[in-house]
Amino acid sequence: MIYLQVLANGLVLGGLYACIAVGFSLVWGVLNVINILHGTFIVLGSYVAYYAYAYAGIHPFASVVIAGALLYVVGHGIQAGVINRVITAPVLITLTLTFGLDLMLNNAMLVAFTADYKKVNLANPLGSIEIGPVFLPGDRVAAMVLALLLTLLLYRLLRDSRIGRAIVAVRMDREAAALMGVDVKRINAVTFGLGALMAGAAGALLSIIYPISPLNSSMFLGKAFVVCVLGGLGSVPGAMVGGLALGIIESFGASWFGPEHAVTLSFGLLLLLLFVRPSGLLGKRGYE
Amino acid sequence: MLSSRISRRTFAAAATAAALAGLSTTGASAQDVIRVGAPLPLTGPLSPEGVKQQRGYDLWAETANAKGGIKVDGKNYKVEIVYVDYASNTPRAVQAAERLITEDKVNFLFSPFGSGAAKAASSVSEKYGIPTLAATASSVQVYDQGYKYLFGTFTPNDTLTEPLLEIVTAKNKDVKRVAILARNDLFPLAIAQEMDKGAKTRNLEVVTFERYAIGTMDHAAAITQMRAAKPDWVFATGYINDLILIRKQMNDLGLNPPVVTMIAGPAYKEFIEAGGALAENISSAAWWHPAVRYKGQDLFGTTEAFNEAWTKKYGGEADYAEASAAAAGAVLQLAIEKANSIDPKKVRDALAAMDVETFYGKVKFGETGQITSLEPPVFQIQDGKPVVIHPAAIKQGDLKFIGR
Repeated sequence: MIYLQVLANGLVLGGLYACIAVGFSLVWGVLNVINILHGTFIVLGSYVAYYAYAYAGIHPFASVVIAGALLYVVGHGIQAGVINRVITAPVLITLTLTFGLDLMLNNAMLVAFTADYKKVNLANPLGSIEIGPVFLPGDRVAAMVLALLLTLLLYRLLRDSRIGRAIVAVRMDREAAALMGVDVKRINAVTFGLGALMAGAAGALLSIIYPISPLNSSMFLGKAFVVCVLGGLGSVPGAMVGGLALGIIESFGASWFGPEHAVTLSFGLLLLLLFVRPSGLLGKRGYE
Repeated sequence: MLSSRISRRTFAAAATAAALAGLSTTGASAQDVIRVGAPLPLTGPLSPEGVKQQRGYDLWAETANAKGGIKVDGKNYKVEIVYVDYASNTPRAVQAAERLITEDKVNFLFSPFGSGAAKAASSVSEKYGIPTLAATASSVQVYDQGYKYLFGTFTPNDTLTEPLLEIVTAKNKDVKRVAILARNDLFPLAIAQEMDKGAKTRNLEVVTFERYAIGTMDHAAAITQMRAAKPDWVFATGYINDLILIRKQMNDLGLNPPVVTMIAGPAYKEFIEAGGALAENISSAAWWHPAVRYKGQDLFGTTEAFNEAWTKKYGGEADYAEASAAAAGAVLQLAIEKANSIDPKKVRDALAAMDVETFYGKVKFGETGQITSLEPPVFQIQDGKPVVIHPAAIKQGDLKFIGR
């Protein structure tokens, strides 16, 4: 009976992991940029939700729109103004650049918000849903459903819209896309903006679950990394599968071997998968 | 943190200028300063703790200087604290301690944050024979190395768990099953092990004892296990971030036992603010609390006077880490005045022989250098405020049990 609860825990956690990782995966897959800023973007999204709730009473779920829009502007600006200058350089250069930008943004946040932990305490908490012996935390489930909806939206955007097809074209072949008249630099900025938007939206959703502090950014970044490699780079379903797989593995790992070994187990499996299937569970070239 | 780096640089420049000015005039004024080195985690994951300690030291230095400094052999010495940020990276804390002693020529040292880093850095100050005060190191493993120059202002971990166990078992005979969840880290694990030991000697059943890794983002698995074991008492250790998350997930997963104890987060006001309604009824223990009342011989005098000075400078109330840092300074000052010298050996002997009342409580160091004279208060969060429930002399209320 306890395994039902463990499975439920894993699914809910996995949904959150997927929502943390999807923007990171998009940027890595399309731009070949390992965006170290991603964790800090998530935390920034959480702060937007925190202050919107504390000062204007806006529910964090509504702040998803505000945080997403704001982070889109930030992301678009950073890509257009800074990263685009070195976008064709080897991946280590862009990684170093985003690492440096992350140090600056993260430290600026430490100065602005301090490292003290803040938390959104809803006036009407969502409580828990009890199904037989299984407890489902209302806020996590709601956050997960919203995250899934957002991810679905992103998926449709990439598949059906003109801009989405252009993003996928750049992902598949930068030169060919440029020859077909795609403005690659603009697409780069839009993609990075979308990645930041997803991070900001995730941050707003997570603000009701996790204490908020700039110090948490590396935690989010680490999970995003594992999820992407596990699920396969640059595909929306890949991030979903990777996130859910990691959540379930960690949940069962923690219950069988004790919580202190959960992380060891998930990284062990990750290494194994890299041997067997280096492209990840759903890894393939391009968005279909 | 950018600001701390800048302030350190300007501080260093000012110190150099002051030293040069001293050399060009009499050569004596440069000597009239007592320099205390303080390696602190001012950036990185431990920065909230580092900043707390810094606030304590700053208040002491400012108060001491406002009163004319420290009087030694008829001369007044100004206090100067030399901070180095070691970015929450313990090996760098050890390097910082060495550099403070050999290059910045500090007279005394304050240990870096926590038991782990304080232990690592203690070998450096021992090597150079620099008296060192650890304001935030409680584990006995820090002090049992046979060192002569290390003194700590936190009592051993079991002084926190023992009174808690006494009170809970005396008040509620139905509390029989204890579930422990510990952060796999020096202090949080050590205190959980004390709890485990103390519970077993009282014939309580420890139904689960799980450890979680540093940086764990989800405690659902551990809490699910604990719920299945039906505990009457959940004892969780970690820092603010961990404990807020654990309390929230306990609630989400329907684990609400009559007694919930958490160490060491509830002593901080940030915990109560961030925890909201879920912080209610959580019990905890700490080495000091603003509600204690002592009459001291140190520069602050009474606990009330210390509280007042704190509120004036920072607003709000000091927590135990902040008070302990200020106390470390006050105790060092008492030792220097007693020795009537800034000679490291003489000050060390004065610290070892110390037996005085301070705003922080009675200060007497044991054989190992760890304080033995404190009686740490136990408290519980009631109506959004920490209420002291032990020791009897300063009690503000009684322990409440969470109804099932």
